Amino acid sequence: MTVEAPELWDVLSIAGEVWTSFIGPDEPLVPAGEEAFPVAWSGAVSVTGDWSGMVVVEMPEHCAVAATSRMLMIDEPSQADVSDAVGELVNMVGGNVKCLLFGENSLSLPVVALGRVTPPGDAVEVCRADLQWSEGPLRITVHSVAQSGVTS
Amino acid sequence: MKALIIDDSRAMRSILRRILGDAGFETHEAEDGQVALDLMNGGLEPDVCLIDWNMPVMDGYTFVTQVRHNQDWRDVTLMMVTTESDSNRIVRALAAGAHEYVIKPFTPDAILDKLQLLGLFTEVPA
Repeated sequence: MTVEAPELWDVLSIAGEVWTSFIGPDEPLVPAGEEAFPVAWSGAVSVTGDWSGMVVVEMPEHCAVAATSRMLMIDEPSQADVSDAVGELVNMVGGNVKCLLFGENSLSLPVVALGRVTPPGDAVEVCRADLQWSEGPLRITVHSVAQSGVTS
Repeated sequence: MKALIIDDSRAMRSILRRILGDAGFETHEAEDGQVALDLMNGGLEPDVCLIDWNMPVMDGYTFVTQVRHNQDWRDVTLMMVTTESDSNRIVRALAAGAHEYVIKPFTPDAILDKLQLLGLFTEVPA
């Protein structure tokens, strides 16, 4: 099945699968209300081709550290560990979003930033998933862009 | 059994190392296809390579084609482990010489089932 643009249900389904596989089956990721939180870590991947856009994952510090700890099964992950884990999480979410899309598309390598990743000025948010798990909130947004690019 | 894990993500290498290590594999790691080729040219003889597609320097598809062009490595089993699930990419990788294809996210059982299918792992009943 391919779609013109990812929808909320697609993102929720993909994120849930990634979370179950890598964070743990007992750590469900559930939809939550829009909640402001200090974004400490962001990961982004760009999709280019017949559809161009960006997939961004944002987390507060404690959430990113806890996710890394579960993913890598280590108690005190380093900053490099967290960066790498956030990058892999957005890579898996973005890669699976890309595969839903119509046409030929390519996925960039992930970009990880301390703080927010800023989409290009002409980016249009097409989908936002506010999510919650036992350790806190996270947000996944999908942006459509005329020409793909990421700045941090 | 020796496994060479080729992925630019340290997190993913760590996860695969744990799965394979628990299954009794001796694991080696490379952060891209070129580093993996260098290890193999240096004498490492893996029984199986687990290969990401999107990596800097040398991607997984190029690595597969390079390995398949070298007769010395004809017995090495190649398994793609990637987020790339487009059917044309899967066909390309298999046509280039990959034996199996696992799409991320995966469970440990999914990896071990594939290795079992390839005859590289036998699950010991509890």
